[in-house]
Amino acid sequence: MNEPKIIRLNDIARAGDEPLVALTRDDLMEIPQLADTPELQLPQARWLNRYDFSLDGFSDFEMPKPQTKEEEDRLVNGFLSGLQKLFDPQSNWTFAKIFRLSMDYCVRCQTCSEACHTYIGSGRQEIYRPTYRSEALRRIYQRYFTPSGKLLGSFVGADVELNAKTVWRLLELSYRCNLCRRCAQVCPVGVDNALIAREIRKLFSQEMGIAPGELLKKGTRQQLKAGSSTGMNSAAFKNLVEFIEDDILAKTGKKTKMPIDQKGADILLIHNAGEFMAWLENPAAFAILFDAAGISWTLSSEAQGYDGVNYGAWFDDIELARIALRQVSIAKELGVKKIVVGECGHAHKALCVLADRVLAGDLSLSEIPRESCFPLLWDIVKSGAVKFDPNKNDFPVTLHDSCNVVRLMGIVAPQREIVKAICKQPLREMTPHGVWNYCCGGGSGFAIMNSLNFDQWRKNVSGRMKVKQVLDAFSDVLDPGINKYVIAACSNCKGALRDAIGHYGLWDKYHITYGGLVDLMVNAMVDLPQPYIDLNKES
Amino acid sequence: MALEWFMILLGWISVALFVIGSAYKMCKVATLPLNVRWEVYPVPHEEGERRHYGGSYMEEVDWAKKPRAGSRVAEFVEMGTEILLLPRVRKHNPYGIWLLSMAMHWGLYLGVALLGLFVIENLVAFPALGILTNVLGLVACALGTMGAFGLAVKRATDRNLNLYTAPIDYFNLLLIAAIFVLGLASWAMTGSFAPHQAYIGSVLTFKPTALPLLVSLTFLLFELFMIYMPFSKLIHYFAKYFTYHSQLWDDAFKTKGSPTDKRVTEQLAYTPAWSAPHVVPGKSWLEQAETPFIESEKK
Repeated sequence: MNEPKIIRLNDIARAGDEPLVALTRDDLMEIPQLADTPELQLPQARWLNRYDFSLDGFSDFEMPKPQTKEEEDRLVNGFLSGLQKLFDPQSNWTFAKIFRLSMDYCVRCQTCSEACHTYIGSGRQEIYRPTYRSEALRRIYQRYFTPSGKLLGSFVGADVELNAKTVWRLLELSYRCNLCRRCAQVCPVGVDNALIAREIRKLFSQEMGIAPGELLKKGTRQQLKAGSSTGMNSAAFKNLVEFIEDDILAKTGKKTKMPIDQKGADILLIHNAGEFMAWLENPAAFAILFDAAGISWTLSSEAQGYDGVNYGAWFDDIELARIALRQVSIAKELGVKKIVVGECGHAHKALCVLADRVLAGDLSLSEIPRESCFPLLWDIVKSGAVKFDPNKNDFPVTLHDSCNVVRLMGIVAPQREIVKAICKQPLREMTPHGVWNYCCGGGSGFAIMNSLNFDQWRKNVSGRMKVKQVLDAFSDVLDPGINKYVIAACSNCKGALRDAIGHYGLWDKYHITYGGLVDLMVNAMVDLPQPYIDLNKES
Repeated sequence: MALEWFMILLGWISVALFVIGSAYKMCKVATLPLNVRWEVYPVPHEEGERRHYGGSYMEEVDWAKKPRAGSRVAEFVEMGTEILLLPRVRKHNPYGIWLLSMAMHWGLYLGVALLGLFVIENLVAFPALGILTNVLGLVACALGTMGAFGLAVKRATDRNLNLYTAPIDYFNLLLIAAIFVLGLASWAMTGSFAPHQAYIGSVLTFKPTALPLLVSLTFLLFELFMIYMPFSKLIHYFAKYFTYHSQLWDDAFKTKGSPTDKRVTEQLAYTPAWSAPHVVPGKSWLEQAETPFIESEKK
């Protein structure tokens, strides 16, 4: 492994297109079980003149570089204007208090560094240290907005130059953090560098309309327009549900109804719509289980009601509020007792935690509770309403925890109790796990960001630690003759793991596959004639 | 005599400015709007085992209808442990700053205790206190000097730290070290902390007392430090209260009609000034949320 290059804070303002670091495979953290990890693919030559790769040679932003001084000034002025608004109690009431605390009281002890999977996975490259982007932003803020910074300049650290390159690199850097908040967990002062990354994203989105296309234009905007970030409209959703019902019948011999718009049902179940596109077996498994357990539930065919995602959680409070308001209002109109969120980590956090203080009165959590699916699934197991045979799940299983579900919501035990009850072999816990887990590398939108060469960075850098953890968890059963299953009970995590398994050849080399928790539950159901999960092929 | 009076007045002024400055900074944070929930687990006030593995009330079905148990005491135990022993630094910081940091912080804590002892000694005559004062004072000054100076050296020599260290960080550490060094030097010159105690007595009684130069310098620097502290990063100990209680551990869900609900309703009436195309100018947060897609695309 190569020694990381020294990058200073002021290098963020360096002129020219040369990246601050040019990563190669030899710079990255070693994965002992993989002698040869893939080399990183550089940007295509035809992109170089048009797009900016000056942070680290990777980007998701198909946004032309500024060509004139006026365009550069517009970028810088927009940034300064947005930065000021982050501190404004009216414009940013949602986070102003905790953002200010994190900006003002970091003691630069660097305790957070070793908590970050991206920093470690990158071979400890300086620019990925949780404090690098925060400190650069802090110094710009001091220089332009505080009396001490204006008066004392570099003595108080107000010395980072602000130009179009600084602005661009900060934008890129805000998308080099998965917002997993492992760094906040270990900070002795309670400073939250992930929050600062999110606030930088918000500044760009809410002030300048700049965000990765997958998150804004094809994400929240599309969800508000068409009903789902996948582009699926209500009619297509209904067709898909019919298709799933047929598929369940063909696969299990069970005639299962997936209720839609059932007024007065107990539960409105909201899935990540990505499940309907990429992993149909997951919403199908929920239907099979709920049907067998006799639960009163419904799906919604209303726009935004059949897609639990809320990408605003990662970069934009206004979009977050718009989507959450729609989702909860739909539940209210249906007259359900509560919303249950399917296997999607960020939808969990957005609806159950973030939206709590964004919706008032009749839409409060006390009136329309929003709950995770995992306690309910554990209740189904405990109740005995459905019979499970652990012998049907007789293969090595590890559990990847979604950061949003564990660290950010404290839902840790139900998943483990379920695995204990439905699997023959003991759960192989990753190290660390639970609230101390590492992100899959796809968190905060990275799993769906595939423009330009961003996927290369995700697979090789942010997802690297998870690959190592998975291989470590299965270290004594790596023989490809043994099929192994990684539980990833979150759509984004599944997407990231799917890509990682393909990228590192984990199926070909070790027969490691992945899937949801509910899929595994259905696989163990006694009255199902054949396996629900086909472990003999790559998922 | 003028110098003695100046020192008495500075003593009171520094305390007053420290209290006013700290209160001002705390009020500035406390009066900011209520933030959205942004907790991180483990949360210490959770009940039983959950506190240890990081579980929450959301692990249960129908949690909104169930009474919540848990302990606020556990929060203060966790906070107290963090302040006194810095366990997060010990467990997670790989750059060898824990011992130095502990030394500096304990130097400061014992230094404050020493000031308390000076006050007590001026109120009640109890000979054994003199011995305690000497021991406490020497330990405080030794730890404070080693810790603050050691941290400054560490910051200057470790690449992981010095890339992020501004001159003011060295200034702060060396200022703290200088106070403790002067404390040690003034003790060495007089052989006890009796003149220091006498100075505190003169401040309390408004009776000027002649002091050795080094004792005056020690208190002069300490009092300037007290005035400076609320306006520097050194006041992070109070920020910790807010970061832990308003952010990391604030997991209370909102019920309709509660004070939190009323506050949120008020805040939803604020008008954001953001300029992006999807933000509709002049509309409140609630109106933004209710804005149909077409309208938010028009701009």
